[in-house]
Amino acid sequence: MQRREFLGLSIAAGLSAAGLPGCSDPGPLRFGIHPWIGYEPLYLARDFNWLPDTVALVPGTSAKDSMEALISGALDGAALTLDETIRVRSSGLELLVVAVADVSAGADVLMVKPSITELTALKGQRIAVELNGVSGVMLFKILEVAGLGRSDVIKVDLPVSQHAQAWSRGEVDASVCYEPTASLIENAGGVRLFDSSDIPETIFDVLVVTRKAAESNSRAVRDLLTGHFTGLQHLVRSMHDSMYRIATRQGISPDEVRMALASVMLPDLAANQRYLRAAGPIETMAGSLSRLMLAEGMIDQNPGIQRMSDPSFLPARVS
Amino acid sequence: MNIRRFVACLCFLFATEFVAMASASADETLTMGVFAYRPDSVLQERYQPLTDYLSRETGISVRLEVLNQENMSRAIAANRLDFFLTNPSHFLLIRSERSLTGVLATLVRRSGQSSTGSLGGVIFTRAERDDIEQLADIRDKTIASPGVHFLGGYQTQVLELMDAGIDIRRVNLIRFMGTHDRVVRSVLSGYADVGFIRTSILEQMAQEDPDLFTKVKVLNRQRLAGFPYVVSTRLYPEWPLVALPHVNERAVRRIASALFAIEPEDEVALSVGISGFSPPADYQSVEYLARTLRVTPYDQVPQLTWVDALHQYRLWVFTILVLLMLLVALSLWLGKSKRQLAAEQRRLRQLIRGWPQAALLIRGGLFIDTNRASVDLLRYTSSESLVGKDLAVFSPEFQPDGQISRQKMAPMLARVSAGQVEQCEWVLNRSDGTEIWVELTMAPVHTEDEPEALILCSLYEITLRKHAEQRQRLAASVFEYAREAIFITDNHGIVIDANDAYLAITGRPRNRAIGRLPPLPVEEGSGIFASARSQGFWSGEFSSRRNDGEPITLSVTLSSVRGDHGEVSHFVGIFSDISRLKEQERKLRIMAHYDALTGMPNRVLFADRLQQGMALTRRQSGKLAVVYIDLDEFKPVNDAFGHEAGDQLLVEVAARMRSELRQEDTLARLGGDEFAAIVMNVQDDASLETLLVRLLARVAEPVWVADHSVEVSASIGYTLFPQAEDLDGDQLLRQADQAMYQAKHRGRNRYVRFSDPSS
Repeated sequence: MQRREFLGLSIAAGLSAAGLPGCSDPGPLRFGIHPWIGYEPLYLARDFNWLPDTVALVPGTSAKDSMEALISGALDGAALTLDETIRVRSSGLELLVVAVADVSAGADVLMVKPSITELTALKGQRIAVELNGVSGVMLFKILEVAGLGRSDVIKVDLPVSQHAQAWSRGEVDASVCYEPTASLIENAGGVRLFDSSDIPETIFDVLVVTRKAAESNSRAVRDLLTGHFTGLQHLVRSMHDSMYRIATRQGISPDEVRMALASVMLPDLAANQRYLRAAGPIETMAGSLSRLMLAEGMIDQNPGIQRMSDPSFLPARVS
Repeated sequence: MNIRRFVACLCFLFATEFVAMASASADETLTMGVFAYRPDSVLQERYQPLTDYLSRETGISVRLEVLNQENMSRAIAANRLDFFLTNPSHFLLIRSERSLTGVLATLVRRSGQSSTGSLGGVIFTRAERDDIEQLADIRDKTIASPGVHFLGGYQTQVLELMDAGIDIRRVNLIRFMGTHDRVVRSVLSGYADVGFIRTSILEQMAQEDPDLFTKVKVLNRQRLAGFPYVVSTRLYPEWPLVALPHVNERAVRRIASALFAIEPEDEVALSVGISGFSPPADYQSVEYLARTLRVTPYDQVPQLTWVDALHQYRLWVFTILVLLMLLVALSLWLGKSKRQLAAEQRRLRQLIRGWPQAALLIRGGLFIDTNRASVDLLRYTSSESLVGKDLAVFSPEFQPDGQISRQKMAPMLARVSAGQVEQCEWVLNRSDGTEIWVELTMAPVHTEDEPEALILCSLYEITLRKHAEQRQRLAASVFEYAREAIFITDNHGIVIDANDAYLAITGRPRNRAIGRLPPLPVEEGSGIFASARSQGFWSGEFSSRRNDGEPITLSVTLSSVRGDHGEVSHFVGIFSDISRLKEQERKLRIMAHYDALTGMPNRVLFADRLQQGMALTRRQSGKLAVVYIDLDEFKPVNDAFGHEAGDQLLVEVAARMRSELRQEDTLARLGGDEFAAIVMNVQDDASLETLLVRLLARVAEPVWVADHSVEVSASIGYTLFPQAEDLDGDQLLRQADQAMYQAKHRGRNRYVRFSDPSS
């Protein structure tokens, strides 16, 4: 037994002896999730029954579903990108980042026509972008890196899932998208010019819960995270098994799964502690994103990023 | 292990070692062991092309040896193998038995056009077994498995079933068949209900028996896109190809490079049924599986010795030891303190219980504990009579100061509860109805954190003192308020205390009274102290003077006060001012013996003087004369000028007569206008008659009364003493009276001597 475990055990023993404040059964934590490589540990946890009854995964098709359901109160938490979290927060719903599922390191890409070879050449080009999503943030980051103004490009606001069709119809010259759309465009002759690995620790996929749920149903939040990190452990330890399972669910080949995994960093517990600490990378990036999004008119009001991330729900360890 | 087997083993080991060393050094032949997970012939035929390929590519002769797990382990122990290819579980077992350089490559298996570096387990039964549809149905079924150290043929299934809640190692009959083929056959033949085999076996066997998949039914089938085989469990990395440590590095490098050079479409790959070899996979999932299942080599939990634990947790151990020592020290100290406390408590209790003074403990106004003395004080038999009652129960309704006992007690208790100490005198009723005075002291004995006040109440009986005080007060008031002067002196007679009456009578201020002698009789002086000392007291009357010089008469009683040893320590004197009494007495005496009008002796004093004169005369053998004088014509004066004029006349006449007499003679007024005189030392008749003539002459002189000159005369009769007969005073006076009547008869203003008519 390691010292950490011993400590953990004594703390756990102490807590259980003290009797955790019992809460009236608030029902399961309704957690919205949609297909994304970073959220796979949660799917794995569900498939292996590592999620207890306190957590109910609500599968959706996109982050948009989750955001709407969060605001309407149909969900207590969801897997979102950091900028989506800020959007929801700015609408008045207080969300807490309780875990970082992945950090994009190449998953979000800028696909361009082969004729465009550098970022400055984007000037005057039609760029497909989902302004209301992570794609929008990515675009502004790209423009920032390229030294271009917002008005220097023609933004074609389209959901990412429709970028491939727009591309094939020749309606756009570039697309800010992610897998699997990126692969589709690449197959259609697109070229990867820029991806999120060029702007490290900018695009986070996080697990968020409402403050209300965090306060009234903290046990379920812990269960959710324990499930996520158990799934992540399986993903890492039994890569041979996970690859096939992810491939099955996403409908792609195991090789493509391997490539997708290569485009994200999956932070473990220790890394999560680092990301979520007060005034840590998450809160810093949230602050910078809020300013950017406010400037770009993507949100109406500054959501305030104080106490946005909370590492206290992270399990001490997973077996 | 018996001796014979042990010796055989040794011989075998020695022999094989020798052969291996010889062959390796001779023409550099390497032996590759392949685990016979299927019948030897199948594997021999399948892997021969691989060894041939390696021999060809590396220039080193590589020999194939197909072995079951037991033989492979033995061969490795004997260094008979240079490389081996086996399933991951078996690899972990071997790795744990001896250190290995590790995995050189991981096998990538081919199935038709697809390939995989993963393997899993298959759980199957005969197709017609309707009673076995899911994992839960396996619970009481017979299971066929190739062996414990088969990853895909045993361990993956055990874990999967364990997750489903079934521990088959406990509840099921498991038949170990040695190879996968036998497992399939035993299930098909009905020898076992359920079979455990690794992935790809069914597919390989189906090549020879195309109907196989219609005969069997795969349970818990996982839908894994891209995985070429049916599978019931999660997946693990494929077989590792491992180089043993003794193989030289050059050979290992060449073998590895040849292995990685194999492309899926190469002839060797096709004939072996693989796609090639991939870089070594991470076998930690297999290790985790083995650990979870506690199968060899993780079946034994390493014995954690005390030293290990001590080493690993030395900080904790040290901390806990220190804490324990502190705890023990603290316990000892606490125990000691507790004993001391208990002893102190006992002592305290003993002190209170045994204390001769009454002590009671009060909580909430009621007695909760009492000592013997308090029970005795109130004359009860046991403390039960007191406990649970309040003090007012044992008190009369009213205290001497008029307050109601209960009302007086309540504010006192409140003050004591607040921390003060109260002390007062109190009257209690004993059980026999008698009253006693006590001095009541109440003090709080509780600490501040105790919610309810605990009060120690002690009672000290002061009845005797109270009575003594009363007596003393009475005595003091007697001393203070007595009309008589009272003084106390030391044994020399010097006043040390005196009351106000003393000061008032003597007229001395206190500072001149204290420290001086009291008033003393002139004659005796301090001698009265000697008398009082010897006789116990002295009493007498004497004259003295007040401070302002006024004479006073004092009646004094002086008593000696004796000390414990009989010696005179003090004198107490009482005196009163009897001056007025003496004056009164003197006045009364005058009134009894003198005439109020003239101030002359009256008849009583006359008789007395006569008696004395007669006694004196008789002693001196002289003579005396008794003269009786009666004024003539006095009544007309009285009638004419009033009684006042008459009285003036009498006073004047009496004074004139008195002036004619000597000092030793007596003139008395017997009443009205009658006087009598005693003339002492009568020498002869002539001198007497001369005196009588003078008297008559003096009376006959005119007297001025009431603005008138009045003239009266006197008739005098007299007689002499002694006579022949013994006569008393009365007889003498009567003789003089008779003679006076004779004088009246003979015409007044003359004197007549008594002559006995009988003689």
